[in-house]
Amino acid sequence: MRNEHPPGVLTWGVIIVVTCLMLYLFQRVIWLVVPGLLTLVGYYCLQPLVQVLIRAGLRHRTAGKLVTGLLFLVTILGIVLLLSLAATRVAGWKAVTAHYVQGGLDFLKQTEGLLAEKLPLLKRSALVRSTPTNLDAVAEQFVEKYLSWLVLQMVHWLPSLLLVPYLTYFILQDGNRFKKRLIQSVPNAFFEKTLLFFDRVDRSLQSFLVGLVKLTFLDTACLGLGLWLLGIPYPILLGLIAAVLAWVPYLGSMVGCVLVTMVAATDFPNEPVTIYGCVVVFICVRLLDDFIFLPLTVGRSLRFHPVLSVLMLFLGAAVAGPTGLLLVLPVLGVVVVITETLGQILTDERLWARYRHARYLQRTMVEVEYGQAGGGQPDVGHRDAGGQ
Amino acid sequence: MPDGTQTELRRTLAVMKTPFNFLRGSADDQRIENLKRLTLFKELTARELRELDELLHERSYQKDEVIFDEGDAGLGLFIVLSGRVKVVSSHAALQRLAPEFGPGDFFGELALFEEAQRTARAVALEPTQVLALFRREFFSLLEQDRSIGVKILFELSRTVVRRSRKLLASQPHLPTV
Repeated sequence: MRNEHPPGVLTWGVIIVVTCLMLYLFQRVIWLVVPGLLTLVGYYCLQPLVQVLIRAGLRHRTAGKLVTGLLFLVTILGIVLLLSLAATRVAGWKAVTAHYVQGGLDFLKQTEGLLAEKLPLLKRSALVRSTPTNLDAVAEQFVEKYLSWLVLQMVHWLPSLLLVPYLTYFILQDGNRFKKRLIQSVPNAFFEKTLLFFDRVDRSLQSFLVGLVKLTFLDTACLGLGLWLLGIPYPILLGLIAAVLAWVPYLGSMVGCVLVTMVAATDFPNEPVTIYGCVVVFICVRLLDDFIFLPLTVGRSLRFHPVLSVLMLFLGAAVAGPTGLLLVLPVLGVVVVITETLGQILTDERLWARYRHARYLQRTMVEVEYGQAGGGQPDVGHRDAGGQ
Repeated sequence: MPDGTQTELRRTLAVMKTPFNFLRGSADDQRIENLKRLTLFKELTARELRELDELLHERSYQKDEVIFDEGDAGLGLFIVLSGRVKVVSSHAALQRLAPEFGPGDFFGELALFEEAQRTARAVALEPTQVLALFRREFFSLLEQDRSIGVKILFELSRTVVRRSRKLLASQPHLPTV
């Protein structure tokens, strides 16, 4: 087949620049990007259910309405439950958070003390000397500063998140029709390449987003099991929080690990084996992720060289902070597909010749209709349209 | 059992077979009827045709416009709805045959089986409307609903066999099997 070369250095340069620009733009409209991403996740997860209903005899539109109705109901129920829970326990949360932050800081102090005792050299290091002396005040300050911010953010995000079932409904209902309309508007010469382009984008997004959901389930199950074996309270909830945090590469996993260690350090202050056990569980799950789960789920969809992935993660973080870290790999995947396909179309002389020929035929037809036939036939590649 | 009761029973059973029949409208029934008339889809039920319809892309070509070219990456098959299409090739056997396709016929079917280069050029002989079935979309459908796939593949195989026989018959030095 013609023109199916892998991207060259220049193309990769364009890919990286476009990815960075898109990340910068996405950071600016993050209130729209997050619901958009969740909508895509919802769409790809619910699409099989819609297919099942269609096979049961339902029309596409009716199946879409039923499934999205269900999603909407679940979202509303979730929000109502969350709000009622927040209303009754918000004061308690403040105390609980302060309690766990305090536990974490205590554990940190203990560890530093232990290290300094075993290694006297460390007594003079900045790490040990800079330990905050008033831990109660630090914990209180942390809670005041971050918990209020977190609650405010949740309230701020609520209207945007309500967009998710709404947008999912329209994508499930009319997504395919919209895609067909878009493809219909493309000139005949580029029709097959456009089909290929949409298919590639669809596949890479689907495998990444569905892979991410699968990975979250696997991580939650493994972390939950490990924490349950160690006797940590709410193992599944903690596992789920840590798995969701892991959506942000590297940073998310670390935050998740710190969170669970804080819980363990507070609930089991005199059991260092349990606390270090949590860290070991995290490391094991991380290794399982890297070597087994990721290649089985997300890894297949985004086959980038590890060096490129790490480079792009740094670039993403530099350009758009945590948003960049979260979005850099899927955005890169989509940009690679777009650039490759566009490159193939733009550099295929025969496709352009066919396009020019179709334009010529159209013009000739119009001129004949108005009695002004004339003009030379353009080059249509190596042969005439009707040639042998 | 009286005839009226039997008919009523049959109708009730038909509704029970497809549990959501009563929710169906009639907006795209004409389109489904038109699809049903095509040779390739004649064995499909209305429900299967509706599912398939989501994957079909309608295109219009002017007289003398190239639909696909020899050497292009084959990505799917085309079904002629109206008009006529001529296939020309640099391959000697295909040159002799110079097949033409009219309403209901399909061409480019080899691309549905493998991602290979097109072996011929397809040109519209008059203003032509076609339906395109993209290979990857067709295979997604096969994964989800094998019964549709089996029916279409059976019809496709029959046509491919018929065309192969015709091709062999046009080659006097080759034995026909």
